Amino acid sequence: MEDNIYTPLNLNDIDDSIQEEIRTKCGIDVDLCLECGKCSGGCPNGHIFDYTPRKIVRLVKLGDKETLMTMDALWICLSCQLCLDRCPSGIDIPAILDYMREKACRGGVEASRPRVKLFHELLLSSIRERGRVSELDVVLKYNWKTGEYMKNARLGVKMLLKGKLNLSRSRVKETEEVRRLFEATIAKDLP
Amino acid sequence: MKQAGKKAMIIGGGPAGMEAALRIGQAGFESVLIEKEAALGGTILKLCSSFPRWESPLELVEEKIKQLKHCSYVKVMTETTVIESRTRHDGYSILLKLNNGDTTELDINAVVLATGFEMMDVSIYGEYGYGIYPDVMNSLEFETLLKAWGDGMGKTPQGVAFFKCVGSRDRSKGYPYCSKICCMYTAKQAGLVKDMFPNAKVYVFYMDYRASGKGYEEFVREVIEKKHVRYVRGRPAKVLPDGGRLLVRAEDTLIGIPIEVTVDVVVLASAAVPRQETAPLAAMFGTKTGEYGFLEQKRFSLARASNRVFFAGGCGFPVEAPFAQQQGASAAVEVIELFSQ
Repeated sequence: MEDNIYTPLNLNDIDDSIQEEIRTKCGIDVDLCLECGKCSGGCPNGHIFDYTPRKIVRLVKLGDKETLMTMDALWICLSCQLCLDRCPSGIDIPAILDYMREKACRGGVEASRPRVKLFHELLLSSIRERGRVSELDVVLKYNWKTGEYMKNARLGVKMLLKGKLNLSRSRVKETEEVRRLFEATIAKDLP
Repeated sequence: MKQAGKKAMIIGGGPAGMEAALRIGQAGFESVLIEKEAALGGTILKLCSSFPRWESPLELVEEKIKQLKHCSYVKVMTETTVIESRTRHDGYSILLKLNNGDTTELDINAVVLATGFEMMDVSIYGEYGYGIYPDVMNSLEFETLLKAWGDGMGKTPQGVAFFKCVGSRDRSKGYPYCSKICCMYTAKQAGLVKDMFPNAKVYVFYMDYRASGKGYEEFVREVIEKKHVRYVRGRPAKVLPDGGRLLVRAEDTLIGIPIEVTVDVVVLASAAVPRQETAPLAAMFGTKTGEYGFLEQKRFSLARASNRVFFAGGCGFPVEAPFAQQQGASAAVEVIELFSQ
C-alpha cells in the first residue's frame, strides 16, 4: 500500500475474499467495527505499529491481503489481547493477526524485519525445550545469532539486579507433555 | 363538542400540518388545512419506506386522511395557496386562491405554518456535476428512482454511491448546520438498494453518522452489518464521467489513502432548507425567521412564533415524520390554549 500511495485504491477492485475468510474461518465479522480506535489507543505497542489495530481491521475491509501479510504489526504484536478486551464490538483482532501470521508463514512471506522470525523461533524453541520461556536463554542465543553480543547488556544488568532475569533456567516437570503438545498443535501444512 | 367561534388555519398538509389540523379539530375548534398540492402528505408522499422500522409512510398518510375525514370540524382545502392576509382585531383575514382560479377570504383566529423543508440546489458544487450528469441526483429525486426500481423499471445498478453532508456542515458554499435527517434516510435508501439488488455494491461516504434516536443506531448498524452497505469515511472530492458510469474520487480518511470507485448512480444527501414559500408567509404574518430562514419560536414556548402564529415541522428545522407529527400536536396544544382563554 505504501508504494502506490499516490494512486487511488479502486473500491471496485476490492477483493472480498480475505474478509470472507476471516468471517468463515475465524468467525470474526469486521463489519461490526465502529472505527472508534479504542483498540489502537490502548495497544501497548501501537506507537511502533505501522498499522494500528483499527487500521488492521480497516485493511481487512479494504481486502488488502498483501499489506496484512507484510506489515510490521503482524510480528511486533504482543498478542496481549488488550484490543479485544477494549473493543465495544468484541472483535477478536489478535485472532485476525494469528490467522494472518499463519497465512504469511504458509505463503512463505518474509517478515519485514528478518530478525523478528529468529526471535519467534528462539522463543518457541525455549518453550518446547523447557515448557516455559527462559529469558536469559532466549536473549543469549539471540545476541549470539545476530552477532550483537552486547545488545541490551545494560538493561540485562538492571533486570538482573531487580530479580527480573531468572538465571536458573528453570523448566516445568512434564517437558515430555509440552513436546507432545507442540507436535499435536503444529499445523501439518505449516512450514 | 363544538367550541364557539374560533377558527385556525394550518398552512401545509404534511405530517405536521395534518396532525395540527386534526388535534385542533378534535378539541372542537374549526380548523382549515391548506395544501398547495392535489394530495395531502407533503414530502413523505414521495418516500419509500421509513426509519427505524422500514414502514410505509403512505400508511401514515392514509391513516391521517381517514382521521381528518372523520373529524367534522376540519376542512381540507387542497390545490390552494395563501395570497394575502390582513390583520384584524382577533386574528387575520386571509385571501386564498384555488388552482381553478377562484379566490376566497376566510377570517381566522390563529395560523399554524407547516410548510416543510426542501432540498438545497446543489448544482453549486460543480465537482459533483449535479444538473450535468443525469445519474447524479439529490435524495428526494432518488426516492422516485427507488420507486421505479421497486416497480421493476429502470436499469439494474451495479453500484450506487451516497454522499452525505452535501451543503450541510459546509461553511463555504452551503450551511454550517447539520441537516439532522440525512444520516438516517441515507441508511434507509442504501439498505433498500441492497434489498432490491443484493449484488449491487453500495457505498455511503460519510464524515460521521449521527443516529441519535430510539432504534436509530441499531438501524444504521443493521444496514452496515446485515445488509452489507459499505460505509467509507471521507467527503468525496469529485465525480467524473467514466464510460457511461460515474467515477467517484475521495479519501478513505480512516486509513489515509486516496480511493476511487465507479458507480451507476450518485445520490447527494443535500442540505434541507426551508421551503421557498416560508419566507413570504413569515413576512405576511410578521414572524421572525432565523439566519437560515427557518421559523423561530418565542422563548419558552413549544411552537409559538408570535401571538397568533404557530409553526410545526420542517419549516422550523429539518425533521423526520414522527417528530413533525409531535410538533404539529404541540402547535395544536398552543392554539387550543389560545382559543380557550
